[in-house]
Amino acid sequence: MRLFRQFIWRHLAQEKLRSCATVLGIALGVAVVLAIQMTNASSVRGFEKAIETVAGKTSLEIVGAGAGFDELLIKDLGWLRTYGQVSPVIEGDAEITLADKRSESLRVLGVDILRDRSLRDYQLRANAETQTASARQFLQLLSDARSVILTEKFTRKHKLNIGQTVELTFADKAEPYTVRGVLKDEGPARTMDGNFALLDLASAQWAFHRLGRIDRLDVRLKDAAQLAAAERAIAERLPAGLRVQRPARRGSQVEKMLAAFHFNLTALSYIALLVGLFLIYNTVSISVITRRAEIGTLRALGATRGTVLALFLAEALALAVIGCSLGLLFGRVLSFGAVKLTATTVNALYIAAAAEPPPLAWQHVWIAFGLGLPLSLLAAAVPALEAARVAPTAAMRGSDHLISRFRLRARYVVLPLCLLAAAWWFARQPAVNGLPAFGYASALAIVFGAAFLVPAVLFALGRLGDKPLFRLFKIEGRLANANLAGAIPRISISVAALAVSLSMMTAIAVMIGSFRETVVYWVNQTLVADLYLRPATRHNVATDAVFSPEVERIVSAHPAVAAADRFRNFDIAYGGGLVTLGTGEFAKQEAHGHLLFKAPTGAEAGKAAIRSCIGQDAVIVSESFALKYATQVGDVISLTTPQGDRTFRIAAVYYDYSSDRGIIVMDRGTFTKYFGEPQATSLTVYLRPGADADAVREDLLRQFGSNYRVLIYTNASIRQEVLRIFDSTFAITYALEVIAIFVAILGVATTLLTLILERKREIAVLRLVGADRRQVRKMVVIEAGLMGAVSQSVGAGVGLLLSLVLIYVINVQSFGWTIQFRVPWGFLAQSSLLILLATALSGLYPARRASQLQTAEEVVEE
Amino acid sequence: MIILSVEDVRKTYVGGETPVEAVRGVSLSLAAGDFVALMGPSGCGKSSLLHLCGAMDRPTAGRLRIETADLAQLNDDQLTKLRRERIGFVFQFFNLLPTLTVRENITLPVLLAGGDVTAAERRAGELAERVGLTHRLRHYPQQLSGGEMQRAAMARAIIHEPALLIADEPTGNLDSENGARVLNLLGELNRELQLTILLATHGAETAAAAQRIIRMRDGKIASVETTSAIEEPTPRAFV
Ligand SMILES: Nc1ncnc2c1ncn2[C@@H]1O[C@H](COP(=O)(O)OP(=O)(O)OP(=O)(O)O)[C@@H](O)[C@H]1O
Ligand SMILES: [Mg+2]
Repeated sequence: MRLFRQFIWRHLAQEKLRSCATVLGIALGVAVVLAIQMTNASSVRGFEKAIETVAGKTSLEIVGAGAGFDELLIKDLGWLRTYGQVSPVIEGDAEITLADKRSESLRVLGVDILRDRSLRDYQLRANAETQTASARQFLQLLSDARSVILTEKFTRKHKLNIGQTVELTFADKAEPYTVRGVLKDEGPARTMDGNFALLDLASAQWAFHRLGRIDRLDVRLKDAAQLAAAERAIAERLPAGLRVQRPARRGSQVEKMLAAFHFNLTALSYIALLVGLFLIYNTVSISVITRRAEIGTLRALGATRGTVLALFLAEALALAVIGCSLGLLFGRVLSFGAVKLTATTVNALYIAAAAEPPPLAWQHVWIAFGLGLPLSLLAAAVPALEAARVAPTAAMRGSDHLISRFRLRARYVVLPLCLLAAAWWFARQPAVNGLPAFGYASALAIVFGAAFLVPAVLFALGRLGDKPLFRLFKIEGRLANANLAGAIPRISISVAALAVSLSMMTAIAVMIGSFRETVVYWVNQTLVADLYLRPATRHNVATDAVFSPEVERIVSAHPAVAAADRFRNFDIAYGGGLVTLGTGEFAKQEAHGHLLFKAPTGAEAGKAAIRSCIGQDAVIVSESFALKYATQVGDVISLTTPQGDRTFRIAAVYYDYSSDRGIIVMDRGTFTKYFGEPQATSLTVYLRPGADADAVREDLLRQFGSNYRVLIYTNASIRQEVLRIFDSTFAITYALEVIAIFVAILGVATTLLTLILERKREIAVLRLVGADRRQVRKMVVIEAGLMGAVSQSVGAGVGLLLSLVLIYVINVQSFGWTIQFRVPWGFLAQSSLLILLATALSGLYPARRASQLQTAEEVVEE
Repeated sequence: MIILSVEDVRKTYVGGETPVEAVRGVSLSLAAGDFVALMGPSGCGKSSLLHLCGAMDRPTAGRLRIETADLAQLNDDQLTKLRRERIGFVFQFFNLLPTLTVRENITLPVLLAGGDVTAAERRAGELAERVGLTHRLRHYPQQLSGGEMQRAAMARAIIHEPALLIADEPTGNLDSENGARVLNLLGELNRELQLTILLATHGAETAAAAQRIIRMRDGKIASVETTSAIEEPTPRAFV
């Protein structure tokens, strides 16, 4: 321990800058991993928590095969009461418009209040005005259809009182409602942090356009211990088209749906950690290399190999402990940003998510240290073992500043090639459980291959770089090149770390660039309708908000409208997860639409396939459905309908980039046959030739007046919207990348600084034979720039390889999209220039230190 | 012509706990073609004095002139320029840059001064021949023996045709045979090129190669003696 204090701690304290940079590197790495962890948790947990709080004492729920089920069915389910209390439920999202014209989302529960009180705890707030028995207040809710109960938290926040009128928007319809009561901050009132409203069942059915239907029956078992038995017994007695499940199941379905998205974010977040670990490896190896003689002395004085090993592991441990602790704090801060960055995507593509990361818990401390410390020790083990192998004679050799030159051995070329071969093999393996585990293994192999290739590239540069650098930068260029060539073992690690981050960035940029091109092409080909309409509260595909019949009527009746394709979709359970079941009018789609078909190929064959579905038990499915469930044209899939399980033939597979969850679409006629007449969730409008889309839009909005809240996108604006969501999806990707690159550049700067301090003598000699300060500075900056250039060239090359894996393996296995490979040359050129500049700039500080070294002392003192 | 003139120069190091007076009032003067050896016990201030004379360090007090330049008047960049144009250095530990080849090491001063590459390389070839290193030009310093390294360092020290060569124990790390070879070279350069040399050494044989020996003790000049029988302009050394 004393030895540690004297030998390691003082050294770390001396090398403040390098120690700080390393700590910062680990901290950022751990922070990014934690932040993503928290962000992912926030979206799933937010959803699960909402389910939990709403569920209350519900142990089982009965759900339909379509969007809810007919309330007449309840009559036949009287036997359910022998198992416990039963309450029918309508659940959905509404928007409340506040006095200042802003609006907020509310989770709305519509129940038969008197019956439902045995399942959920509703506590009305008792104040002076509401001394009356709460049962009477609940009954008041029934007496007036436009009554709502809000939560204490919400009313306090927005200064609302009982009796006051608020405007609620359900789907496309805004209506005034009267606040009849305030729920205490307990039970379901905690849902969505208080953004919760309670309605009478009948009012809710009316408001959500679900007359005669209910979403589910909640059941509270008399004997909660008999859950499994009851579930089995109920399942047996339920008629076709109805299912019994535990409330938590909805949570796990959502979790599964988000799994790929989260998996990819998590994988990305580990890059930053990886780079942080490179930094630890770097720091410990540098201290081992520079202190060989000291280690030798220690050994000569009687320190065992074990002691030396322990000393250097302790160095890593000390850095890692501080780094992880800081990382915990940074992670918490970063998670707020990460939640913001991912919220748009999660909201637009999956679910309405909670907008706040979870608070710091022991579990996070555990992740930070459980991940950071062992990995740091592992990273430090290699150089620490090398330290332990130092012989006592190293002390005697004395001035061994004449380092032996780096020799290119076969393994520097063979090992990277082996890794690349492994990557090739991994890339050809199938997904594991729907997750691209082998894809990531392949990416990892490529990355390590690149890292191990760096010494060879540096060697080649040292050999070939002299002439061009001399021509370009005169003698300073030659010196810089020679310095790097002489320090290959020391700079390799930091150059490799930077190269790895850069390759990731290149790969991701190529992937996103290609993806974007593909999406733009798809958008231009398929989004050909003139107007797109959706109810105002329908923020994502999962929100079940349908149009009022009046809106549908106004749109179809408009003289400029040639056709309005009424589209309806909702989530159904399929293969253990959720897929989207949609229905449109195939005759209109065939006449006006322009879907891009993967199979059968060709627009005409596609149209024929669509035509063949009309009146048949046939569907078309999206590419991601086909890939996820390994189905193709001609296959038959089985869907649960309200009339029991039915089979449908797949007539075509079409490209779709709007969602990765898999979409099944059937013609309206087929749908009606099994699921009943659908209400539209969106309208796709084709105008007559010559009609002005903007004018029609204005006209429709005027006709809807203030009663109906409908969002109308013109063709141009829907395209913009699609790309906006697309871009926001990848904002987090870039943010993570920038952090990783920052950490890597930090590594380059610290390595350079160490090299400078090590080379004091040589720099003094240079000054002596006539180099002025400016020349020394120029030399160091060129060295930094060269390190950046090597990193970027290795990074860009490997990045292109990686992007192939991302596009053709990882993306296909986790999302199921076809992406056309495109190289964004402009981006590559720009980023290369930027990296060169950034690394050269990072050399400025070491350069200043170098130019300020005193001449006389260094030369003479040995 | 006076190449180096030192007038009552003092150097006090204040870095440590107690200030060290390394040079305590030294005056001397070297004319073109002089070959002067500094001798004295370890720690008497030889190296310190050489640093001052080589414009590597500034004196605490006193005046130093190299040719026409008053060192006190020059800023850091001007000192660098003076060093790289008028002074050459040879040290005990050779001080070649390990990452450069012998040829690149030798041409370094010319290239740093912005000189022409081909001319520098031709001249490096000539000098290498002169010091017997032609076959070593493409090698790296660590592939050379100590004697060869020191000869390479000498070639580097004179490639820019300096007026003054500063040598601090150039034979200190060499065996007697190699040491003698280096000394011979110094003598030749001195005679043939009229190169002015100021050399510090512990060895009496080394000092014997010089025309004049200055003995130092405790930062001061203790005595001056002339070794060669040849009549030289009277040395102006003030004790
Ligand atoms: N940079 C410095 N800081 C402080 N003291 C110094 C410094 N350089 C030299 N000294 C001190 O100045 C004195 C003279 O040192 P110098 O190196 O000039 O002696 P020297 O005659 O060259 O000795 P040697 O024969 O051992 O080389 C010594 O006491 C030394 O410790
Ligand atoms: Mg000395």
